[in-house]
Amino acid sequence: MEGTILRTENLRVSFGDNLVVKGIDMEITGKQVTAFMGPSGCGKTTILRAINRLHELTPEAKVEGKIFLHSENINEMEAMTVRRRVGMVFQRPNPFPTMSIYENVISGFILNGVKLKTDEKNNIVEDALKKVALWEEVKDHLKKRSTSLSGGQQQRLCLARAVAMKPEVILLDEPTSALDPLSTAKIEDLLYELKGNYTLIIVTHNMQQAARISDKTAFFYLGELLEYDDTKKVFTNPKNEKTQNYITGRFG
Amino acid sequence: MTPYDIQGLKGRRIKDRIFAAMVWGLTFSCLAVVFIILFYIFKMGIGSLNWALFSQNPKPVGETGGGMLNAIVGSLIVVVLAAIIAIPLGISVGIYLAENRGRKLSDWVAIAVDVLQGIPSIVIGIVIYVWIVKPTGKFSAYSGSVALAIMMLPPIIKNTEETLVLIPVTLKEASLALGASYFRTTMKILLPAGIGGIFSGCIIGIARIAGEVAPLLFTAFGNPALTANIFKPVDTIPKVIFTYASSPYDDWHRIAWGGSLILVTFIIVLNAVIKIFENKWKVQF
Amino acid sequence: MEHLQAEMDALRREMLEMYKLVLSQVERAQTALIDNNLSVVQEIAYNEKLVNAKELQIDSRCETLLALFTPVAVDLRFILSALKININLERIGDIADNIARMVAHSKPGFDREFLEKINAKQAFAMSLDMYKSLLQAFEKEDTLLARDILIKDEAIDNITDESVSIAEEYTKSKPDSITQAIPVISIMKMVERIGDHLKNIAEEIIFYAEARVLKHSSPKQ
Repeated sequence: MEGTILRTENLRVSFGDNLVVKGIDMEITGKQVTAFMGPSGCGKTTILRAINRLHELTPEAKVEGKIFLHSENINEMEAMTVRRRVGMVFQRPNPFPTMSIYENVISGFILNGVKLKTDEKNNIVEDALKKVALWEEVKDHLKKRSTSLSGGQQQRLCLARAVAMKPEVILLDEPTSALDPLSTAKIEDLLYELKGNYTLIIVTHNMQQAARISDKTAFFYLGELLEYDDTKKVFTNPKNEKTQNYITGRFG
Repeated sequence: MTPYDIQGLKGRRIKDRIFAAMVWGLTFSCLAVVFIILFYIFKMGIGSLNWALFSQNPKPVGETGGGMLNAIVGSLIVVVLAAIIAIPLGISVGIYLAENRGRKLSDWVAIAVDVLQGIPSIVIGIVIYVWIVKPTGKFSAYSGSVALAIMMLPPIIKNTEETLVLIPVTLKEASLALGASYFRTTMKILLPAGIGGIFSGCIIGIARIAGEVAPLLFTAFGNPALTANIFKPVDTIPKVIFTYASSPYDDWHRIAWGGSLILVTFIIVLNAVIKIFENKWKVQF
Repeated sequence: MEHLQAEMDALRREMLEMYKLVLSQVERAQTALIDNNLSVVQEIAYNEKLVNAKELQIDSRCETLLALFTPVAVDLRFILSALKININLERIGDIADNIARMVAHSKPGFDREFLEKINAKQAFAMSLDMYKSLLQAFEKEDTLLARDILIKDEAIDNITDESVSIAEEYTKSKPDSITQAIPVISIMKMVERIGDHLKNIAEEIIFYAEARVLKHSSPKQ
């Protein structure tokens, strides 16, 4: 078990005049899975994307407050450096369509202009694909287009792509919501294994998923953090009434 | 079934059939016109397709025979140079427009592109005459290329922008999330993903200018001799067609038809290339 | 779902520990009563705390499993049966503890002849035999064995049903044994209750393995 690896201080995010994230203070523990859950529009994805500074793509977005990775302020670092240390997996699998499976895995290195020897590249690809349980399925087709894989395989490829960079934190934005139940189960098993070596933060609409795989769960509502505790406690005896209403399905 | 259904049904069926027949008929007539034109050009031009057409320069007035080697080379030079100027510029502007939607400046740029597209080609020719030909004191192939490049820009820019806009933003996000710079993301992910549409845009641009005469009248001007020097005036195929077709000589008419056939074939081949490569390079997201 | 499987395996291990813990309690109670051995009484008192702690631990694990994994089908049935088996085992542990206390209270111990007349040794032996079969039935998910146990309980009931009349007769012939009669009869009733709890556990094993509810029906069905 590690200590705090990520910390936010009065994190606020607004889009134009609309304050979507209203001052969040929280600490994420290392080598664990932390789940962000809450109804639509509660700000959980917004917070996630603030961690790897993806809001810089949106001109109307303004991020205030502080986020610390270990003890460095993320907003004072070079954006590209942050993103190399914090990986992301998106809702819809998005492997690069013009690259092969092999190239996709090391795309992080290609896109950062890092030159590697063939041996090193092969090792990285094999290692990452084994970590996401994809190696056996694709080892004979590494040069094939990445889009020739099924949805579940593509998502695992995206996970391999993130893992290959050996990030300190991996952010997952509803990674299984576009997948069928079997693929979802495979990925959940993967995440459970990966947490031994990586810190994972997962935004999910699926409460049962949060319950199954996370160590800590954070419940957000209308931009505020209402409850943040061990998953076991949140799902057996939540402290906040709104949390209880949400997880028992009595919301709205 | 109530009486109401039966009444309406017959009328609707008849309307359907009339409409379908109308659509078929009009389409057919359009196609028929195209084929008739192509066929006529083919018929008139096939007679003059001989080795001389491609290898000889025009003979002086009065002599028979001769070809349009100078115009073929001239067209090639002018078009290739125009492409070299317009393609990087057009793609860059297309990228800018795709990435900066909603910004005031890009709105203005988009308007400018639309206006540019509507400017008559002869006006562009005159403008380049004033900007380049007059100050330098001579007609030249490169001034013609500049004029043609300006005409090529709108289709290249528009196609690039539209293609890039269709690429899901999640691809760009995925690249940036790996720590890639904006430049690398564009070059290694976005452009390759959009290569089909961008390539089409370039070919469409080329097809558009290959048959232009007006902008070259005051820039490349014309040259009966064969030259590869871009600082000298050159003849182009459409220019030669214009000159020869409006002459009183039968022999020149024959050459004009030959040139027309070459030009039309070139355009058809370009369009076929677009179709083939668009499918080959289609990227699934 | 490896995570769920790992948790279910842990639950199964804990239940086996509970089974074995309570089994040794019953064996100690037998030693205390039949051999009039008071040294085990301390052991029983100490282990009673362990049994209680284990019951809470298993309850908590079941609650966690239900909350976090929303199990269905065989997993759900196993957890529901685990909760009930847990209670029954804890009660058996309680009974063993009570028997030991009663033996301790009755210094210098119960009349040997009385105990023999009332068939205390057989009743205990049968209940231990039932228990060991039950343990095997649980480990191997052997529902045939579990059904056997339902029948064995009847045999114990037959012995312990006679307790009151045997005691009556004995105290008539030996009037000063009347003070022992009540605790001894109680102990026989407690042994019968051990059998009842074991029967409940057997029914739960059949429920979870076959999804058949045999509660409140006669063993012949």
